[in-house]
Amino acid sequence: MSGKQRIDAEPAYVLHLHPYSETSLVVDVFSRCHGRVPLLARGARRPRSAMRGTLMAFQPLELGWFGSGEVKTLAKAEWMGGVPLLTGRCLLLGYYLNELLMKMLPREDAHPALYDAYGEALMALAQGSADAPELRRFEKTLLKELGYGLTLDVDADSGAPIATEAQYCYLVERGPVAKVDAGDTPMLSGKTLLDMAADDYTDPRTRQQSKQLMRQLIAHHMGGKPLHSRRVFVELQEL
Amino acid sequence: MTRVTRRGESSSSLDELIEALRCLPGVGPKSAQRMAYHLLQRDRRGAERLAHGLETALQRLRHCTRCNNFSEADVCDRCTSQRRDPTLLCIVEMPVDAISMEQTHAFNGLYYVLMGRLSPLDGIGPKELAFERLFARAADGVVKEVILATNFTNEGEATAHYLSELLHARGLKVSRIARGLPVGGELEFTDAATVAQAFLDRRDFT
Repeated sequence: MSGKQRIDAEPAYVLHLHPYSETSLVVDVFSRCHGRVPLLARGARRPRSAMRGTLMAFQPLELGWFGSGEVKTLAKAEWMGGVPLLTGRCLLLGYYLNELLMKMLPREDAHPALYDAYGEALMALAQGSADAPELRRFEKTLLKELGYGLTLDVDADSGAPIATEAQYCYLVERGPVAKVDAGDTPMLSGKTLLDMAADDYTDPRTRQQSKQLMRQLIAHHMGGKPLHSRRVFVELQEL
Repeated sequence: MTRVTRRGESSSSLDELIEALRCLPGVGPKSAQRMAYHLLQRDRRGAERLAHGLETALQRLRHCTRCNNFSEADVCDRCTSQRRDPTLLCIVEMPVDAISMEQTHAFNGLYYVLMGRLSPLDGIGPKELAFERLFARAADGVVKEVILATNFTNEGEATAHYLSELLHARGLKVSRIARGLPVGGELEFTDAATVAQAFLDRRDFT
């Protein structure tokens, strides 16, 4: 989607801010209809800049921008409000979501469904919901939107429906197959797969196994890029 | 790095200087070139002072073992001052933040400079910021209250949250500087986010 653009009042979230020159910022933005776009916010670091308090990550904004290059120029930023500021542990989880989007989503690739899932996950985190189900739901939508959707209801080999009591191995890019000796591939119960399909994370074993599965799949699709936010989160828990 | 200039001859020390100047924030190839020519053509004494200043600063300056700020001695003047209250410890992100706090004349305790903030997306965590050193400093037995004066950005808030939890666990009293409208601020001209937060952080008023 190159060529000259002029976008007005586009719902968007700030993913990350980088200082640029003395007084400006480059803002990595995730917008509803234009996907991930880098925007230059001129003068946003000046003491009296009106944008300074508005360009906050995890807050729904409406942004306007123009330009034809790779980095567009931010023209307007409106605060939509309604989502409490994330604090503490939730803030760290928010960074994890942002890092996933920044590292997995190509630029200028629109994913309205993913955008909505992101907004819902942030809202749930800000309101203090249990975080594991929110993260798993978001990761599931992310993989699906990127074209790596999970198979959770049938055996990828035989096509037979998943049985609650059976044990499965999840083969990356294929799906679950009835238990084979697959070395270090972690085992999953049929119930975990069915629970994940239904977004039901009440069972502790489902929570534990689904986390492991998602970690394995995301690591594969990120092609070995490390996730800083996870490392920092773990280090903070260990202190 | 030796670069061949347009006429074909190479002038490595000039290029090296231009390349070196580019390490300054906000300095691109054009400005670096302008600076290099200015120093060499018009201000050779200035250039000497700059070179000397950089060299001595690099040699002499280290981190104060108490506040982590830059210092020429093991412990800086502020940390050894008798006139300051050693029971109050204010944690700031950067040396410039300590300078801002000093300009208020509202604080007479001591500082600890983190030299950064938790920034998970940039890979900056507790190890990079040497949290352990701060804990050792705060738990010296003299400090009674730790004041968290990190910025009100998401990164600053994350830093304050974790420091507060970890310092509480070590039995210290922890406080956070307040946020809200600036002095002389008018609601009409304040951004919505600040007003919203000022509203949430409202306090009893008598």
